[in-house]
Amino acid sequence: MRQVQTAVLERDTTFVSDFATEPYEVAWAGEARWFVHTLAASGDDTEVRLVTQISPDGLTWCDLDGHEHVVTGPGLVTWPVGQFGQWLRLRGTVAGQSPSTTMRIYLTVKS
Amino acid sequence: MTTMERPDLAAELRAAILSADPRLSKFSPLRRILTYDDFNSGAHGWTELLGNYNGNGDLSTVDDHMRDFRPPQLSNCTFFDIGSHGAMTGSYALKLATRAYQGHTATAIRRLTMSGRGLLQIEAYFTFKAEATIDGSAGDQFGDITWDGNLHPSEAQFGCFTVATDLCGDGGLRYHTVARYLNTTLDNNLSRQWVYPIVPEPTPREHLEGKVKLAYGADFTAPDPKDWHPFGEPQELCYNEVPTKVNWHYLRWVIDTAARRNVELQVNDRTMDMSAVPVPPYKERYDSLENLLNFYFSVRTHSTVRNFLFLDSVLISTEW
Repeated sequence: MRQVQTAVLERDTTFVSDFATEPYEVAWAGEARWFVHTLAASGDDTEVRLVTQISPDGLTWCDLDGHEHVVTGPGLVTWPVGQFGQWLRLRGTVAGQSPSTTMRIYLTVKS
Repeated sequence: MTTMERPDLAAELRAAILSADPRLSKFSPLRRILTYDDFNSGAHGWTELLGNYNGNGDLSTVDDHMRDFRPPQLSNCTFFDIGSHGAMTGSYALKLATRAYQGHTATAIRRLTMSGRGLLQIEAYFTFKAEATIDGSAGDQFGDITWDGNLHPSEAQFGCFTVATDLCGDGGLRYHTVARYLNTTLDNNLSRQWVYPIVPEPTPREHLEGKVKLAYGADFTAPDPKDWHPFGEPQELCYNEVPTKVNWHYLRWVIDTAARRNVELQVNDRTMDMSAVPVPPYKERYDSLENLLNFYFSVRTHSTVRNFLFLDSVLISTEW
């Protein structure tokens, strides 16, 4: 049976500026998937751009690929991640007039 | 000759079997092994603790100080300087990691119930580290440590770790037993003292009833530092100088759920009598928790550096 684990990296957290999630170790896993559940958003033209980041040591980070996942309002957004090495996190860029967004961020990893 | 005719034979056979098993021979389990976790096949039910929420699943109703205890991670103890360190038993350990926020706590809890009463023991091989700082911002001094080629300021950046229970039964009588290694004081000076709380942990019900309101980063086990009292003598552990060397320590903690008492705590070569350490129960009875048997580990940073508690393996056993 394959191992699988879901971590809630942000739990109904309200972001008003750029952020990065806490480092999460996934060395044992062969595949991963982000689920970003936006619970609420306010402000004008609020837009969050999410990018997967990887790290060899949990300290220094770079983008995994060139993909930006754009969130503009409530709902669930998901994408798969592969070939990631040891650590995963998300960085988010928050744009708009007085932007505010409340998110629950799940990382599901599988051996 | 049967085991009835020679009653010590069963004990001798059991000891031989345990000592010949490389997984178990490093432990001293009581009669019944309830759980054995080496974290090479998942987290084995050790999960994040979260405060309670309302009937709508609205997580904004979770107490501020209990809403962000972080999910445990399966770690092969990889560091920036030497790569993968690995664990003691196989490659993986369970890692609890705080945020880089002064006062923040990370937890891992295992939820069971009691099928009897009597001696209850948890054993673990663990280690503790503060996160390495490599961006040039740390300097060579922190708290009361100045780097001298031996002592490293990272050691003063580690706050404390805790092993504790949440137990309930006999008509809703709920209590905790708690042992904490206070590595540093809240102002980051080495303490290296085992401590226990003289009050029970504040609960979500007490918050809902307006009895307590704690801020994010508060010490959820016992928020007032004055409520933590020492037991035993200060004990130096093997931090091993820098934040990227891992040495595994043995912990064995016994409580008695029949008497609702602490018994003793062994950490490496020291055994501390805890029989005089009080176990304050909640004054009010709790529903929905009959025979509750939870163990948790937690780690709390007293600095703005992430703190980690690594568990190589954990074994819970009982005499019932």
